[in-house]
Amino acid sequence: MSEQATETKKTTTTTTTGKAKYQPSDFLKAVLGRPVIVKLNSGVSYRGILACLDGYMNIAMEQTEEYDDGQLKAKYGDCFIRGNNVHYISTIKRR
Amino acid sequence: MAGRLLPLELVDRCIGSRIWVIMKGDKEVVGTLRGFDEYVNMVLDDVTEYTVTAAGREKNQLDQILLNGNNVCIMVPGGDPEASSSSSSSSS
Repeated sequence: MSEQATETKKTTTTTTTGKAKYQPSDFLKAVLGRPVIVKLNSGVSYRGILACLDGYMNIAMEQTEEYDDGQLKAKYGDCFIRGNNVHYISTIKRR
Repeated sequence: MAGRLLPLELVDRCIGSRIWVIMKGDKEVVGTLRGFDEYVNMVLDDVTEYTVTAAGREKNQLDQILLNGNNVCIMVPGGDPEASSSSSSSSS
């Protein structure tokens, strides 16, 4: 976690108002290879390791678990999510 | 002329403060704005996600998210859906 924090400091830029800015591209760099939750516009969420993604928010995930309404519905070794369906990508807090 | 503030400059001024994002459809997101890009995709911290259903508001807490800007409808700086819902005081 501290390793990630130093990483983000390096990539932050400042706005015209002088506040630290942490842009979407910085976030994407920081979460690559980490566990994430991807929620789709339909409400279904996918929890797994973020393997790869691009500027369209197309996503490749590993060890994916599909949750609908909080219930585990399916597991996939690898899966691809087309970017237009993505509502958000969320980090998972380390326990 | 000099006093004009462009829309995205207003969003830029919100960086570091709480912001209420109302999406197209029945979703709302409240969090601390960390940054955004030209599509208004946003990085938000300490997020509460609301889904409006017939039964009421469903809440979901998240640490940090990248919100897709595609379905963003309204952004309210410093806003809070719990403080300004129709049933309670509507002054803000």
